[in-house]
Amino acid sequence: MNKEEVAQFELETLELLKNVMDPEIEINIVDLGLIYELYYDGNEKINIVMTFSTPACPLGETIKTDITETIKQKYPNFTTIIDVVFYPEWNTTMVSEAGKKVLGM
Amino acid sequence: MSDLKTNNAPHSSVVIPHFIFGGCSFLIVAILIILADTNILEAYFNSKIIAITHMAVLGWATMIVFGALYQLIPVVFETSLYSEKLAKITFWTSAVSVLYLTYSFWVSAFTTHLVYASVFMFISLFLFIINVILSYIKSEIKNISSKFIIASIFWLVITELVGTLIAFNFKFNFLSQIHLHYLKIHASLGTIGWFLSLIIGVGSTLIPMFLISHQLKKEKLVVSFVSINVGLLCLTLNWFIFSNSMLTIICWVVIVIGVISFMSFIYDSYKKRIRKKLDVGMQYTMLAMASIFMPILVSLILLLVFKIEYELLFRIATFYGFSIIFGFITTMILGQTYKTLPFIVWLEKYKNLVGKTKTPLPRELYSNKIAKIQFYFYVLSILSLGLGLILKNFIAIKIGSFSLLAVAILYNINVLKIIFHKVKIKDNE
Repeated sequence: MNKEEVAQFELETLELLKNVMDPEIEINIVDLGLIYELYYDGNEKINIVMTFSTPACPLGETIKTDITETIKQKYPNFTTIIDVVFYPEWNTTMVSEAGKKVLGM
Repeated sequence: MSDLKTNNAPHSSVVIPHFIFGGCSFLIVAILIILADTNILEAYFNSKIIAITHMAVLGWATMIVFGALYQLIPVVFETSLYSEKLAKITFWTSAVSVLYLTYSFWVSAFTTHLVYASVFMFISLFLFIINVILSYIKSEIKNISSKFIIASIFWLVITELVGTLIAFNFKFNFLSQIHLHYLKIHASLGTIGWFLSLIIGVGSTLIPMFLISHQLKKEKLVVSFVSINVGLLCLTLNWFIFSNSMLTIICWVVIVIGVISFMSFIYDSYKKRIRKKLDVGMQYTMLAMASIFMPILVSLILLLVFKIEYELLFRIATFYGFSIIFGFITTMILGQTYKTLPFIVWLEKYKNLVGKTKTPLPRELYSNKIAKIQFYFYVLSILSLGLGLILKNFIAIKIGSFSLLAVAILYNINVLKIIFHKVKIKDNE
């Protein structure tokens, strides 16, 4: 895979993650702005740096499982590594335009 | 990578029985209000009213609070519950104690059963307190929300001590002042110290979380914490030692400053929320928040108005208790049930299915239509019962009590619908 193909794959994966919902807020985690970074090493390994809307989010583990399983469904041999960070702290400016529409902002 | 707190959640078998028992107790409360008939319009220390009050605050409110708190400790303390086994034992001892205590009051067994029932209740609450304190000790997070919860636990101990003393005094008659004096202390510490502190502690974490609001001024919570606890501590000392009416008013002002500071925090959270439309759970919650001003107003009247006849004074006192237990606490619990219980059950049933199959949303586990009808009946019941108590109008009491029964039935239908939800599996397209 060349650089462009990797970038294209990362965009497609981000699009795929729009299927992962925050069950409380009822909006997908990409539009909610929870995904800080997503990069593909070109060798069946996806690294994700993400956050939650609150550090003690009771759904945190479930959302992580949802991400891993969603990627696994499409790419069964891939490994997904998720790194959860709380800096920078998530805030409403991180919500996408589509997300703002859903939330009525 | 940060340690996630979802893994700390207790097994649902610890939490769910509390919601079932709480729901049944709410139903019993509604039935008892109907059975109490005209006794509801008598003085607040009438045995029937005391039985209903204890069933409401212990069987209904405290049981749900216990269950919810076991689930919320991982969220607020960011650690697991100290012992799930102890929580299960506490549930059974509390359930038996509440029923025994309510029966003792209902049949006016003040000098016989009441002493034993109060001891059982004391032991049950003590087991709960041990579990929460030991959880707090092993927690590394000592934020303002967790401090509120620990303060509420402290007030629960004092409330229980005073309650048990009153029960023993019925049999052995050793206290220096009349029962009503201690009953006032018992009720005030229970409602302000236990329930209000706990609701602020849990609410200051959950309400911004559910409204999705950030960058809130936590200093307001610190002011609230200090004011409420200092005010209540001084008030307690005043009641037991000084008996100074001016000091009572000063303490009242200090406590009210604390409540208003918390309300201001919640108002900020409401203004900054990113989800504009409130679901039924948050509608109840916001109604509960607004209703907090009613007991403040009524308590001010009780403090400042001296020259009124006893009969009216007792009616206002009953209304004061009603405005706290039903206007504030019950409204809050009804709302938060719809916010927490579906998640508890959803997590249990779907945590291993997410990503593999399409799952319903937690709010789809209950009927929104039933929840909305329940909300309208609830508003009707609160208004009717409130007016009935103040105006001594028995027809309004009847309308209110039957509306409350409808609320309890609808609430239980939805609670059972959530608890017994069958997993719906649908393949990804």
